[in-house]
Amino acid sequence: MKKKTDSDIQELQKQIEEWKGKYLRALADYQNLEKRTQNEKDELRKLAAEIVLARMLPVVDTLTKAKDHIMDAGLNLAYKELETAFAELGFTKIDVAGKKFNPHEMECIEVVAGEDNMVVEELLSGYKLHDKIVRVAQVKVGKTLQN
Amino acid sequence: MSKIIGIDLGTTNSCVAVMEGGAPKVIHSAEGRNVIPSVVDPIKNIVGDVAKHQAVLNPQDTIFSVKRLMGRKFSDPSVQTDMKLLPYTIKSGKNGMAVVVVGGKEFTPQEISAKVLAKIKADAEKYLGESVTQAVITVPAYFDDSQRQATKQAGEIAGLEVMRIVNEPTASALAYGLDKKNAHTIAVYDLGGGTFDISILELGEGVYEVKATNGDTHLGGDDFDKRILDFLADEFKKDNAVDLRKDPQALQRIRDAAEKAKIELSSSMETEINLPFITQGKNGPLHLVMKMTRAKLESLVGDLITKSIDPVKKCLTDAKKTIKDIDEIVLVGGMTRMPKVVETVKNFFGKTPNQSVNPDEVVAVGAAVQAGVLTGEVKDVVLLDVTPLTLSVETLGGVSTPMIVRNTTVPTSKTEIYSTAADNQTSVEINILQGERPMATDNKSLGRFILSGIPPAPRGIPQVEVTFDIDANGILNVTAKDKATGKASNIRITNSTGLSKEEVEKMKAEAEANAAMDTEKKDKIEARNRADNTIYVAEKTLKDSGDKATDDKTAVREKIKALKEILDTGSKEELETKTNELSEAVQKVGEAMYKEKQGDQPPTGAPPGQEPKEEEKKDEKKVEEGEVVS
Repeated sequence: MKKKTDSDIQELQKQIEEWKGKYLRALADYQNLEKRTQNEKDELRKLAAEIVLARMLPVVDTLTKAKDHIMDAGLNLAYKELETAFAELGFTKIDVAGKKFNPHEMECIEVVAGEDNMVVEELLSGYKLHDKIVRVAQVKVGKTLQN
Repeated sequence: MSKIIGIDLGTTNSCVAVMEGGAPKVIHSAEGRNVIPSVVDPIKNIVGDVAKHQAVLNPQDTIFSVKRLMGRKFSDPSVQTDMKLLPYTIKSGKNGMAVVVVGGKEFTPQEISAKVLAKIKADAEKYLGESVTQAVITVPAYFDDSQRQATKQAGEIAGLEVMRIVNEPTASALAYGLDKKNAHTIAVYDLGGGTFDISILELGEGVYEVKATNGDTHLGGDDFDKRILDFLADEFKKDNAVDLRKDPQALQRIRDAAEKAKIELSSSMETEINLPFITQGKNGPLHLVMKMTRAKLESLVGDLITKSIDPVKKCLTDAKKTIKDIDEIVLVGGMTRMPKVVETVKNFFGKTPNQSVNPDEVVAVGAAVQAGVLTGEVKDVVLLDVTPLTLSVETLGGVSTPMIVRNTTVPTSKTEIYSTAADNQTSVEINILQGERPMATDNKSLGRFILSGIPPAPRGIPQVEVTFDIDANGILNVTAKDKATGKASNIRITNSTGLSKEEVEKMKAEAEANAAMDTEKKDKIEARNRADNTIYVAEKTLKDSGDKATDDKTAVREKIKALKEILDTGSKEELETKTNELSEAVQKVGEAMYKEKQGDQPPTGAPPGQEPKEEEKKDEKKVEEGEVVS
């Protein structure tokens, strides 16, 4: 039988190293994928409603506007019911009234005379699902006129 | 080994991707979006959507489109033009380079871009769960040395070692793997949010070389949106005498609606723009309700699209090419989703452009591919084989029941339990099939074997475990095992994936061509199988129900006869109807039997037969035991 020479052994060792590297990389990719998949699943479960709710938001906006214009007691009750249902789902309005402007939760649409950097008026409600922002609120922000 | 990320540092939006498991994957931002707006407030140190939200409040502090200034001198005519359009302050800094001034502080375009890159780095690290220190960044093909150098510096400021600066059109070509397809001369048509670029590339020694570029630095999706917005506002003004553009809140709503309409009209022919309570009129609230057709949209923006063709012609001339020389066309940028744009490009070149990769992501994807080449990941991709065709077993009625569906990555294995089709059947034949057709005879049989020695039992009772196992070399092992006796038998098939490409394609094409007919045939057989099984159950029920004749039983017998008559000749619907009728009739017999059993005992008093004796015995025992205890 032919004896393995040192260079043969070295070559084989090199190959082993190479395969080991590839194997470890594949394993790492896989493990990371697993971890991430689990996280994503958890996240998904929590936020599964987000897509549906986000699609419903324009409807809610219109309803809100209608309620403010029509001022009907029945409609007000119906709206309240909707708000309760949203709250139970963990879907809540972002509180902006009288707050300092926060670009993480709000988008400034217009600047008006008023107290610096404070929300003067809410134009469109923002919503959060649990802690995740589904839509930022659109607001008017105050600025003291310099002249 | 840590990953190298691929970054598309765009004028309007940026995007990042990474190679994972041999394929590029776009990393979503912390806000859950596939792109990050290239917008920065350097004073408050906020980036992306968040910075964009406060742009109206702090127009002087919110820097966007800084790429237009990157590596340019203040005296550069293009900087002088852009200055008039950008709301923030631009001045001449060190060495006469253009810098922006925010809150009295000077920032170089590199520093601003670095903030975008730092956010990308953070988002990528969060996604990958490891630190990221190296990146490939793309730049427009027309960027000169100074602009490329500035981009590299931006990366370094953000803590990223820039392994390679890649031209955006080259990255797009890489994303489509055009280098592997040996596409010699290609055109990349990039219509983004704010800029239009056309590039002609030529493949030389495995690398794409930019032959010529052209474009329009101020043509993009924003112009298209503005056209729609103006149309909506003008129409509304005509009808209601109110200019919505003067009401910031209404303006915001039409702007969003215009963008939405543009996107919807890419896939449908008509859309309705619905903005209730858009503003307050003299006689109460006003609503904006308007229909818009794709044709209308195209007439509004037609000249913008046509405008892009001139630079394309110039670019071809500069590259000394004709339309005929172009092997492939790649579409980049969100606006290339618009059917009219695709059509215009297609008509001009007389070729269908590549557009399967998301046009917002294609540059970043290409950058990730380049990064993968650098780490050796792309060259070394372990190509795991997939089964080219479905592997099935033949079941009752000559149906092909899939075990391993096509495109499953091997090695893999699958186990399924089957049973016998007739009473006292002592052997089963396992016929291994390959192909996409639902009927066994239409597929290719790879081999068959018999498992015998199954103890006699009514049909459906024996459990035969069938396992398909394909190893990494494509060798298929099929084992059948009787669970009651543990008796097993198997076959080894070495050519399960060894079909030639032509054969695979042929089989797939056949399956597609016959899909409708095959399904019909299979459905009919399944209906027949169900009918057959229902007859079996019905006959068994009759046998178990004793000799007493009832109307119900007569009905069942009649229905069995009727079903048997059409078993081989009836249509699927006939079989289903008759089967359902029979199973309803059987249920009645079953119910009656159940009632009889329950109803029998109390009125007859002492029950006849053996059971009572046993009960008596038990009673006696109890008494005895009682005696012992006391």
